[in-house]
Amino acid sequence: MTPPQAPFEIPPIITYAVPGFVLLILIEMIVVRFTKKGRYEYRDSATSLAMGFGNRVFGIAFGGLAVLAYFWVYEYRLFNLGWTWPVMVACFFAEDLAYYWFHRIAHERRWFWASHIVHHSSQHYNLTTALRQTWTGTLGLSFIFWLPLVYIGFPPLMVLMFSSISLVYQFWIHTETIKRMGPFEWVMNTPSHHRVHHAIDARYLDANYAGVLIIWDRLFGTFVPEDDRAPIHYGIVSQLGTFNPFRVAFHEWVGIWRDVTHAKSLKEVLGYTFGPPGWSPDGSRKTSASIKAEWAKKQQQTPPPPEAVAAE
Amino acid sequence: MQFENPFGVEELIELGGSAAVVLLMIGAAAVLGFRMSARIDDGELARLADSEGLRVDHAVIAKNGRTALARLSDGRVMVARVMGADVSARFAAANIVKLDVKSHRLNATFADTGFPPLKMRLDEHPAWLSELGGGGGSST
Repeated sequence: MTPPQAPFEIPPIITYAVPGFVLLILIEMIVVRFTKKGRYEYRDSATSLAMGFGNRVFGIAFGGLAVLAYFWVYEYRLFNLGWTWPVMVACFFAEDLAYYWFHRIAHERRWFWASHIVHHSSQHYNLTTALRQTWTGTLGLSFIFWLPLVYIGFPPLMVLMFSSISLVYQFWIHTETIKRMGPFEWVMNTPSHHRVHHAIDARYLDANYAGVLIIWDRLFGTFVPEDDRAPIHYGIVSQLGTFNPFRVAFHEWVGIWRDVTHAKSLKEVLGYTFGPPGWSPDGSRKTSASIKAEWAKKQQQTPPPPEAVAAE
Repeated sequence: MQFENPFGVEELIELGGSAAVVLLMIGAAAVLGFRMSARIDDGELARLADSEGLRVDHAVIAKNGRTALARLSDGRVMVARVMGADVSARFAAANIVKLDVKSHRLNATFADTGFPPLKMRLDEHPAWLSELGGGGGSST
């Protein structure tokens, strides 16, 4: 059965957004230059932009595999939902929920983290960081998180359209130049929420996975607000120490390969591949759970500052 | 099944345009003066060690302040490298660090392939470094 036709021509949303990306990056650079709100470093930005460029190269080469998978699964769909306004509204929410779970699992399971780590590998946080994208997402099967949507019956092109809209939305939230946004923060993902997501400070680890709507984090207990009192440190727990795009793109895959080839049992192979990032058989490496537990323990041992005691 | 080359003229034009825009933005960043470089000093090393609840026992810092190697209070090694306006630090067991010290040039490589080799010039060759190379770590 052929998929229903969209009632309008779907534009290449990301391609159309690129001039806007460029303009906003140039504006942010000028704002940062004169206000010192935020940080840029040209080698860091060069790496981020090179990753974005490579993402497009790999997208052209392999992106078709994901699209093929969408259309193949759609053949077995449960319902014929078609292109109607109520279905489009439902698809927007469903796509954003799928993104939340993709993103959460991309942080919690090393296989998917190996692709997603690229996006977190900069120690700076600005609009070029948004373009620091993986080269191995499709080959790492990240697209499987959206297959349930087409299995339910949302047309593949509709799902792809909302995925693109989500990606475009998430561009502008990678900035330190915008602080808080009032009531907008209740429902929408914002720069403040996403700074928390990119932080490596223990209290912020594994938080704010939202794409467009922050409601999913509030609903599933992963929401953490930004604390204005302490500066945020960005990057990954084991900082990369390189601007080399090829190292950035493949280092975690190399790490998985190295660990798996030294594994002593099937359990270790599975643990190194699908366990949480930092998993090791003897627990000698740090996972975000162990870092958070250590931090929480330290908090209990540290006496509160005098002003906090006085206020009690 | 037949596979088509996905890189047609349209795609190549798109990639060429993207490359030009990337170069434009990097140029803009350089022109605007975003060529910040942090410097590593004893204070920065102490701060990085403290983030792990440790202190620095011994350290060597490169003359240009861009790289450093330190022995920490728990016997582990910390390597630090300037990454633009920030410093990237990695903590590792001494036995995974391979040291090569030849006429005031230190080359440290890591079994952990995620962190690139550390190369630095040394004014002196402290005893703890030889000890690290000979016992705690491995040296060639």
